[in-house]
Amino acid sequence: MTLMWLLAALAAVPVLVVPLTSTLGRRAGWPLAFVFLALAASMIPAARVVLEGDEVTQTYAWLPALDVNLALRLDGLGLVFVMIALVIGAAVFLYSAEYLDRSRQRGFYLWMTAFAFGMVGLVLADDLILLFACWEITSLASFLLIARSGPGGEAASTRTLFMTFVGGLTLLIAVVVIIVVTGTTSLSQALASDVWGTQPGVTATVAVLVAVAGFTKAAQFPFHPWLPDAMAAATPVSAYLHAAAVVKAGIYLMLRFSEAFSDVLVWNVLLLSVGLFTAAMAALFAFQQHDLKRLMAYSTVSQLGLITAAIGVGTEKALTAAVIHTIAHALFKSGLFMMVGVIDHSAGTRDLRRLPQLRRVMPWSFATVILGAAAMAGIPPLLGFVSKESILGSMLEAPGPAWVGVVALVAAGTGSILTFAYSAKLVLGGFVDGERELEDAHGPNALLFLPAAAPIWVGVPLGLAVGVLDVPVERAVQAMGASASYPLHLWHGPVPELFVTAAAIAIGALLMTRRRALYPLVQRDFLPGTGADALERIFEAAADLGRTIARTVAADHPRRHVVPPLIVLTLLLGAGSIAILTTGDLPATQPDLWRPVDIGLLLLIALGVLGTCLADSRIAATVSLGGVGIAMTVQLFALGAPDVGLTQLMVEVLTVLVIMLVLRQLPSRFGPTHLSHRSGPVILAVALGTAAGLATWVLTGRRERSGPADYYVTEGTEVTGGDNLVNVILVEFRALDTLGELAVLGMAGVAIVAVLTTISSRTYDPPDRDRSAPLRPVAGLRDPQARAALLDPQSNLRALQLLLRVVIPGLLVLSAVIFWRGHNAPGGGFIAALVGSAAVALVHLSRPEDRAVGSPRLHIALIGGGVLTALVTGLLGYTDSSFLQPLYGYVAGTKLSSSLLFDIGVYAAVLGLVMVAFDRLGSTPPPATAEDTPHRAKEEVS
Amino acid sequence: MTVLPITAGILVAGGVYLLCHPSLVRIVFGITLLSHGANVVLLSAGVSAWRGEPLTGAGSPREAGDPLPMAFVLTAIVITLAVTVFMLALARVGRDDDTRHLPDTGEDHRA
Repeated sequence: MTLMWLLAALAAVPVLVVPLTSTLGRRAGWPLAFVFLALAASMIPAARVVLEGDEVTQTYAWLPALDVNLALRLDGLGLVFVMIALVIGAAVFLYSAEYLDRSRQRGFYLWMTAFAFGMVGLVLADDLILLFACWEITSLASFLLIARSGPGGEAASTRTLFMTFVGGLTLLIAVVVIIVVTGTTSLSQALASDVWGTQPGVTATVAVLVAVAGFTKAAQFPFHPWLPDAMAAATPVSAYLHAAAVVKAGIYLMLRFSEAFSDVLVWNVLLLSVGLFTAAMAALFAFQQHDLKRLMAYSTVSQLGLITAAIGVGTEKALTAAVIHTIAHALFKSGLFMMVGVIDHSAGTRDLRRLPQLRRVMPWSFATVILGAAAMAGIPPLLGFVSKESILGSMLEAPGPAWVGVVALVAAGTGSILTFAYSAKLVLGGFVDGERELEDAHGPNALLFLPAAAPIWVGVPLGLAVGVLDVPVERAVQAMGASASYPLHLWHGPVPELFVTAAAIAIGALLMTRRRALYPLVQRDFLPGTGADALERIFEAAADLGRTIARTVAADHPRRHVVPPLIVLTLLLGAGSIAILTTGDLPATQPDLWRPVDIGLLLLIALGVLGTCLADSRIAATVSLGGVGIAMTVQLFALGAPDVGLTQLMVEVLTVLVIMLVLRQLPSRFGPTHLSHRSGPVILAVALGTAAGLATWVLTGRRERSGPADYYVTEGTEVTGGDNLVNVILVEFRALDTLGELAVLGMAGVAIVAVLTTISSRTYDPPDRDRSAPLRPVAGLRDPQARAALLDPQSNLRALQLLLRVVIPGLLVLSAVIFWRGHNAPGGGFIAALVGSAAVALVHLSRPEDRAVGSPRLHIALIGGGVLTALVTGLLGYTDSSFLQPLYGYVAGTKLSSSLLFDIGVYAAVLGLVMVAFDRLGSTPPPATAEDTPHRAKEEVS
Repeated sequence: MTVLPITAGILVAGGVYLLCHPSLVRIVFGITLLSHGANVVLLSAGVSAWRGEPLTGAGSPREAGDPLPMAFVLTAIVITLAVTVFMLALARVGRDDDTRHLPDTGEDHRA
C-alpha cells in the first residue's frame, strides 16, 4: 500500500466510525482494531524497502503556487513511529471495546481515529506545512478527547490546549523561518541545508523554537502540567495518547530535527538540562501520588525526560538509546496504563490508600504489572532494561568537558532510584500492601485483560532477543543523519551504566523496605503551587488585561460605536472631494445624467426622509419609510433596472409587514428627544449627507461606459444563453458573490432563531409598560362599526380568507413563472422567492390568531437546503473547470444552465429567511421559564 | 446640474440622523435609509446617462445601462432585508427598544 493510500485510509476511518458506533456501540473497537492491524500489515512491503536502507517517498502538488506539496516520506525513523501508532492503537481499541461503558461512544472513537490520522500524517510528512498541519490535528484531537470526558475534563482540556498551542505557535514560527532561510518547504531538503552550518544565529533560534515545540508535546518542564491534568480523560485515551502517541509526537519532532541540530550547543544544553531535570522532578512527583493513573502520568513525564536528554546528547549511541527507549516505553507504558484500568474495573478504585490486596484475586494481572513495572524500572532481562541502560550509557558522551557526562549520568541515576521506587510503589500498593482482601473476588475479563497485557509481555522476548531490533533502530538512527548505530545487546559487559543501574536498584529496594516511614515524608508540596494553578493565574491576568482594554471603548448602546466612524467618513469624503475639486483636472460629466422624473422622485424622497426622521409616532415613521421605499422603487425603474425595482418593491412590502409585527410589542411613540440631544445628530447628518452627495457628484458620471458593462451587454447572452443580464451576473458570472449573500441571509435567519429561542420568556414577552401603552388600535377608534370589526378578528378576516383562496394559487403560479423566466426577462430566484414570501405573509395575516405558518424544522431546512443546493451546484462546476462554473445542456432544444439549480437554492434561502421573520416575530412563543430555555431551543431547532 | 447625488445625500443625511438615536427601531429605519442612499451611489457609479434595460433584444445595446451595479444593488437590497429583520427581532426583545437600557436576558453584561 502506498503512503498516500495509507493516509487516505486513515482519513476514511473516522467516517467509518459513525455507522460502526451506531450499530456496534463500544464494540466498534473490534473492527477498528482489525482495520489498524490490517493497515500496519499493509505497510510491510514499504517497511521492507526501508529496512533495506532505502526510503519510500510520494509527492502530490498541493499548493503549487506556493511550492507546498503533499510530500510523504517513510524512512527508518518514520517507520518506528507509524508502527507504534498503528499497533498500539489496535491494542487500545481492542481494550476500549470492553473497557468503555455501554453507551454509543461515537465521540471517543471519532477523535481517537482522527488523532491516529494526524499522528501518522505527522511522521510521514516531508513538507513543513503538512508537518505543522498534522501537528495541530493531533493537538485538537487530544483536546477534544480530554474535553469530552465529563465535568473534570473541561478546565483540564483548556489548559492542555493552551500549552500545546504555545508549542504549535513556536513550531509555526520555526517552520516559517526555516522556509525563509532555506528557501524550500521540503522537510528533508531543509534539514540537509547547509544554512545550519553557516548561520549560527538563525540555527540557534530555530533550534530553541523547535525544542520548545517538542517540550510542550512531550510534557517537559515547564510545560509538563498538562499531562497529569489530562488524566481526566478515559483510560484508553491515556494509554494511547499519553503513552504511545501525543507525547511521542514531541519526541518525534526532536528526533527528526536532530539531523540539523545535534551539533548545535544550545540544542544540546537545552535538551540535556531540561530533560534530566524533568526526569528527576517528575520521578519524585510520581512517587508522591496515591492515584495510580496520576502516578503513571508523572512517570511518563519522567521517562520522556530521559529520552529528551538522550536526544540532547545527540551522538549515535544516544540517538539509538532514544529510539529504543521510545519503543520500550510505548510498549510498557501503554500496557501499564491499561492495567491500571483493569485494576480500576475490578476493585472500583485506583487510589492506593483504598485499594485492597489484589494479588490472590488477580494473579495474572499481578504478574503482568510486575513485568511492566520491572521494565519501567529497568530490570534485566526486559527490553526496558536494555533501553534504560543505553540511555544511562549515552550520558557519558554528553558534549563539553568530561565532567558534564559524569554529572548527567549521576542525575539520570538519581532519577533511576526514584523510578525504581515508584515502580515498586505501583506493584506493592496495587497488589500487596492493601489492608483487606477484595471481598467479591472477581478477576478481570479476558477481553479486557489480554489487550492490556499484550504490550507488556512483548517486552520480554524483545529484551532477550534485542538483536531483532538492531536493523530497524539502525535505520531510524541513519535517518537522523548518523552514519552507523550502536549495536544493541542485553549484556554489554561491566560498563559504568551497569553499576549505576545496580546501585539504583539496590538503593531503591532499600528505600522501599522502609516505605511505611518514607511515604509520609514525601507527602508535601515541593513547589509553591501546581502548574494548573499557575496557568489559571495567567488566564485570569489575561482576562483582566482584556477587560481593562475593553473598558476604554466598551459601551452597550450603539451610538458610541457608530458616531466615530461616521465622523471619519465625513472627513474623508468631504476633504477628499474638495481636494479633487480644487486640483481641477476633473473630466466633465456625461450629458443626460438626469431626467425630469428624477426631480419629482427627489422631492418625494426628501419628504419621506423628513417624515421618517421627525415622526414621533412609530406608525407614522413606518408609513414615511414605506413612502421612501416606493419612491426608490420608481427611481430604480427610471434608471432602467427592472429587476432591482421589482426586488425593492417586494422587499419594501415585506419589510413594512415585519415592522408592523414588531411594533405591536413596542410603545406606540418613540418618546420625545430632548432638543439639546438633537443638535449633534443634525450637524453630523447634514455634514455627512453633504459630503456623500458631493463625493457622488465628483466621483461618478464622468466616464464612458465601463469595459465590463460593454462585455456583459455584447457577450453576456452568447456566453450564458440568458437575455436578462442582471440575472446571469447574479447566478453565473458573479455567482460566488451571490453564494456569500445566501450565507448572510442564512446566518440572519439562524441568528434570529438562536437569539429568540435562547432568551427567557420574561424578556421575550415582557408585561406592558405603564409609561406608554403598546399599540392598541381599538382604543382610539370612535366609529362603533370599526370597533366591532377590529374586536372580532374572526369575522374581520373572513373577506381576506375568501380572497386568499384565489390569490394564493395565483401568487404561487406567478412566483413559478417569475422564477422560470428570470434568465431571459426580469425575474429570477430572488424576486420569485419574495413573491412566494408574500403568499406566506398573506397566510399569516389572514389568521385570526398569531400562529406560525411553518415549523422551525422547515425554516432551517429551507435555509440550510438553499445554501447547500447552491454549494453543491458550485461543486458540480469542478466537473468542468472550477467552483461555480455553470454547466450547459440542451433539453428539448432549449439551452439550460446549471445556474437554474443555483437559483433554486437562492429561492429556498430567501423564502426560509422571510418565513423565520414572520413565524418568529409574528407568533407568541409557548410559555417558558428561564430554566427550560436551552432545552426548548434544542427541541425547536432539531 | 445633477440630481442623483442630491438624492443620495438626503438619504444618507436622514439615515445618519436616525442612527444617532437610542431607539433601536429608529436605528433600523436609519440603516434602511442609508442602504437606499448607498444603492443610489452604486447605480450612479454605473453612469445614469444610459438607462436602457439591460435585456438582450430589448432596445439598443448602446443605450443599455450597466448591469453590474444593478446586480450589486439587487444583492444589497436582499442583504438589507436580512439585516433589518434580524435587528427588528432584537428590537422585539425586552419592554421597549431603547438601546440605553438593555433588556435583562439573564446574561452578564460586564465588559
